Amino acid sequence: MTELDPALLAVLANRFDAIVRDMTGTLLRTGHSTMIAVARDFSCAIATADDELLAAAEGMPVHVFGAHLQTAAIRRVHPEMREGDAFLDNDPYEANTHAGDHTIVVPVFHEGEHLFSTSVKAHQADIGNSIPSSYHPFARDVYEEGALIFSATQIQRDYRDIEDVIRICRRRIRVPDQWYGDYLAMLGAARIGERRLQEVVERYGIDTIRAFVAEWLDYSERRMAHAISALPAVELEGETVHDPIGPLAEPVPVRAKIVVDPEAGVIEIDLRDNVDALPVGINESMACSTNNAVAGILNVLEAGVPINSGSFRRLRVLLREGAVVGIARHPDCCSVATTNIADRLTNVIQHAFAGVGDGQGLAEGAASLSAGYAVIAGEDASGDPYINQLIVGSNGGPGTPRVDGWLTYGAPGGGGLIYRDSVEVDEHKFPMRYTEIRVLPDSGGAGRFRGAPASVVEYGPTAAPMLAAYQIDGHTTPARGARGGLSGSTGAAYRIDREGAAERTANVTQIELLPGERVRGEHGGGGGYGDPRERDPERVLADVLEGYVSVEGARRDYGVAFVGAPEDGTLAIDEATTRGLRGEA
Amino acid sequence: MAYRITVDVGGTFTDVVLTDEQGDVRLGKSPTTPERAFDGIRGGLEVIAGELDAEVDGLLAETELFVYSTTRATNAIIEQKTASTAFLTTAGFPDILVLREGGKASAFDYETPYPDPYVPRRLTFEVPERIDAEGVVQQPLDEEAAGEIAARLGVLEVEAVAVCLLWSIVNPAHELRLGEILAAALPDASITLSHQLSPVLREYRRASTTAIDASLKPMMGAHIRAVADDLAAAGFAGELLGATSFGGVMHLDDLAARPVYSAKSGPALAPVAGRVYGEAELGARDVVVCDMGGTSFDVSLVLDGAVNFTRTTWLGGQFVGHLIATSSVDVRSIGAGGGSIAWIDPGGLLRVGPESAGAVPGPACYGRDGDRATVTDAALHLGYLDPDGFLGGRMTLDTAASERVVAALGDELGVSADEAAAAVLTVANDHMYAAVAEITVNEGLDPRDSLLVAGGGAAGLTIGRIAAEFGCRHVLVPRTAGALSAMGGQFSDVVAEFSETHLTDTREFDFAGVEEVLEGLDARAAEFAARLHKRGIEATRVEYAVEARYAYQVWDLEMSLPLSRVRDAADVKTVAATFDALHERVYTVSQPGHTVELLTWKARLIGDLEATEKLLAPRAESGGEVRRRRAYFPETGWTDVEVHDGATLAPGAAVAGPALIAEPSSTLVVYPGMTAQVTDHDNYLVLTGEER
Repeated sequence: MTELDPALLAVLANRFDAIVRDMTGTLLRTGHSTMIAVARDFSCAIATADDELLAAAEGMPVHVFGAHLQTAAIRRVHPEMREGDAFLDNDPYEANTHAGDHTIVVPVFHEGEHLFSTSVKAHQADIGNSIPSSYHPFARDVYEEGALIFSATQIQRDYRDIEDVIRICRRRIRVPDQWYGDYLAMLGAARIGERRLQEVVERYGIDTIRAFVAEWLDYSERRMAHAISALPAVELEGETVHDPIGPLAEPVPVRAKIVVDPEAGVIEIDLRDNVDALPVGINESMACSTNNAVAGILNVLEAGVPINSGSFRRLRVLLREGAVVGIARHPDCCSVATTNIADRLTNVIQHAFAGVGDGQGLAEGAASLSAGYAVIAGEDASGDPYINQLIVGSNGGPGTPRVDGWLTYGAPGGGGLIYRDSVEVDEHKFPMRYTEIRVLPDSGGAGRFRGAPASVVEYGPTAAPMLAAYQIDGHTTPARGARGGLSGSTGAAYRIDREGAAERTANVTQIELLPGERVRGEHGGGGGYGDPRERDPERVLADVLEGYVSVEGARRDYGVAFVGAPEDGTLAIDEATTRGLRGEA
Repeated sequence: MAYRITVDVGGTFTDVVLTDEQGDVRLGKSPTTPERAFDGIRGGLEVIAGELDAEVDGLLAETELFVYSTTRATNAIIEQKTASTAFLTTAGFPDILVLREGGKASAFDYETPYPDPYVPRRLTFEVPERIDAEGVVQQPLDEEAAGEIAARLGVLEVEAVAVCLLWSIVNPAHELRLGEILAAALPDASITLSHQLSPVLREYRRASTTAIDASLKPMMGAHIRAVADDLAAAGFAGELLGATSFGGVMHLDDLAARPVYSAKSGPALAPVAGRVYGEAELGARDVVVCDMGGTSFDVSLVLDGAVNFTRTTWLGGQFVGHLIATSSVDVRSIGAGGGSIAWIDPGGLLRVGPESAGAVPGPACYGRDGDRATVTDAALHLGYLDPDGFLGGRMTLDTAASERVVAALGDELGVSADEAAAAVLTVANDHMYAAVAEITVNEGLDPRDSLLVAGGGAAGLTIGRIAAEFGCRHVLVPRTAGALSAMGGQFSDVVAEFSETHLTDTREFDFAGVEEVLEGLDARAAEFAARLHKRGIEATRVEYAVEARYAYQVWDLEMSLPLSRVRDAADVKTVAATFDALHERVYTVSQPGHTVELLTWKARLIGDLEATEKLLAPRAESGGEVRRRRAYFPETGWTDVEVHDGATLAPGAAVAGPALIAEPSSTLVVYPGMTAQVTDHDNYLVLTGEER
């Protein structure tokens, strides 16, 4: 093998990342549903022809780490791929995340040889489920879920659509023009990646590119080994629970055992000690179990480790078939595999790392997908149907050893990457009107570094009845603080009638709203990190002035007392009382 | 003699360009003086006055047009040194500036703090009112509550107020009334209403732009007055214009009323110069303009003869900075320049930047205790820079210091110092390559089919390699490369943009509504044109554009309208076809026949300042001594190269690489296998040896 010039290694690594970013930019600007084009609920990646993940710049944690497992699954049934082919896959029983994510895979050829595959995974507004939502949390199995499952299905040959497949989708997916526009946008992104990869191979030659792939994966493995070697040798155990939902009376435990071996430079995550699959939609696919476990680890390691098969050689995720956290078996339902249990899984791992010592790990981030993340559906004034997931809420990010939580964190599986809808864009595209979006005081878990506060979102239909479906975890069990930090707030949702009376709804539900009625969704606050009484009083003062923490909350949780009042600009720290409250001399 | 002076006040240097009617171009560079901008301007003018054997005041007295560009607004925004500003918005939505549009650079980054809102929550006020998407008043403006808020702002002694209400772009009645209430209660405060400044859909973008504009007004107003007064006191009595973020100029008092246009106005002028040079030299319609200074590398585009615009300009970084949504020249900046620091990551890989040594301590060779290798140190080590000729000989570089830091880097990498230095340039080049690739890919442009134009003090070190990496046949390096933005001021026009949002589509086109909108825009443009005519700027024209997208799409593209009115089905068809072609070019796909939605309509008034074409005339004379120096290239190892004094190279001259060409404020490296030709207009065209 040729030894690569060190500068060329960096150059080509940047080049492959840039191609993934081109793919991402293309899809963002051309997507039709707001979930893709505004919120960016999608990820792009490049795998090698022999199914090693090579580049996944800016991909969402819950989406992309398994892109290469998915290309492998497609190749198993299509061993003879040709230039101009494209495949649609959303099979969660092989390597897709959940049925709601459609993945387009394009094999990339150079002089007749398959060298790479580009992968574009995007959450769809609709996938033909039995209810108008790509999430079906209560479905007993895939049959009740009703999703169209495309298991490694060829959708293009010679760069042309295979119309049989398109027709199936148009007959079974709601608002088919929206779906087809999103499909074209995804395909365009995959094809942009194809073209750029061919240009790179042409420019540098196939031998250099092969040498690069091998060296880059080795380099990435070294980075991961180095990051792990900075940790002590420990065994960690974490356990949390997902709230009871629908037919389940009991909370669902989520457990992880983690063994850090700095000498070998390896981390093992054992998830086999979890309960068996449940007759609802929250079971985890193999892809989601793997992705979210790996995300929990990456969240607590040093920054800058490349995300690819090279660095993953140092991470071992042990899974059990047929477990709720594990490998879903057909026909068990994993319709909401990307959010609820998945978010708990990332949280339990990053939280467990706080057990290593001060300065390590993270608190938990909130994951209450309340009404600000609802899938809405109905008809507009002229009778045209619409369906789309709103992404306008905000859950608080975890307090960390060094900074406060990130406000527009979304949920652990998105890691803050997801954008938010614009009120004006939503009101222009859908027959709805918002009445309030506001950050909630005292909702972020108190800590030396505070969890980010949650927001509340309220809206309703203007023209005709609207269905709104949402699944709130963190309704009873909030995001936990770490190392003495307090928990964040819980999420909730309320139906508000025409007279303004509010009634709390179930945590996981689909409700119908008539014009004049509204839904009010409170999201969750992030957990705090470290003892709140160690928080710099000046930061507490700033939080009070900015309305993130109340005067009472500051006294109760942080042991900081004030004189004066924020209204007339006289608020100041009462030093003596504060010292007393904090038990300082 | 009637002079035209253009000035670009940067963070470190003030660039001054003076031209006369015969096309004589003079450049002057001087350190920027933040306390009083005019001192730096005078410094630059003194360099020129010295060459012309004249006095600065005399030059100013004979100057008929003065274009002023400054980085002051940009810096004030980034450093948060603007006026105390309040933000007023629709009740129920106080966190528009807090929650923004979401997004984060890296999912695994838990070290970056969440950015503070541009206006703190404590200075944010909710106004009871609500207008819906159709412009219907759902809740009337509560004038009593508005009056109480205005009174409270008086108590808080805010200097500026930004007003952004939901759907003011469809029905501005509440914003207008609120503006009246505020003006009556706060006669000294600066007020910006969102629908007047930036009538774009999406409340965060509009609110952010509005808040930035309001916050700049007190400071920029005073600054602009001071510059005008200093110039007048020095004898200047001509036309005083300010550069804007859309690459044009406007009268300084107009700019003081809309100071957000002043942000990033300097970099916006570089493509104006690039467009003129590209067109004149090679008839190029598509031009990629690169400007590399000490700390940043800026890229911008000219597409089909027109400078390329964006409606998303981040100041202080994407996601963590602040967003301006007015039309601006699309300039992408990355932290790569002569001062970028080389380092080795935990996996043993060489990295360059984004950290920069800045002006202090600067590169190790500046001899100010810089102890880490920078791009400049690498270039000095390789023999590309003359240690005694830096900045026209005004600064001596410490070669020993460079040797030391470069050798240390080589030891760490396990290669020779020479190889390490060459690798630093390669990696730095690649960042710039990526920046160029990103902006061209976004616009569907192949760099090989366009002309690369390079400027900035450090561009000559690297641009040949970058051009070759793209497979470009050549790259143009103007003689004025060291002051490309100030030079752009010489070629810029008066540009004013008027826009109005009116939502319609090609399926059920609202002929009457669009007619009314375009008539309204025309009236505003005509009023502005009349003012220009009064000042002697006669040649004006109007260009039309509209923001458009396919039905169901969310993001729009700005499309030049091939028509000034849309009056029948055939016109609508033309609009749709124009959009299909644009979408195809940018994204490689289009959906002919699909409904196109049309949102914000724009009229851009252009007043031609009639820059003389004589500015492109040659003035160098051939002949002169050629020196020699040792330089290192990976292809050749250490070798003897010719060092040409740029002043001795006349049109038609050709320098074969490896060689170096020294200009007063920059050095052009002619790499092995490349040739630098002096063009008919006296600029450098570097032929890379690539096919295309």
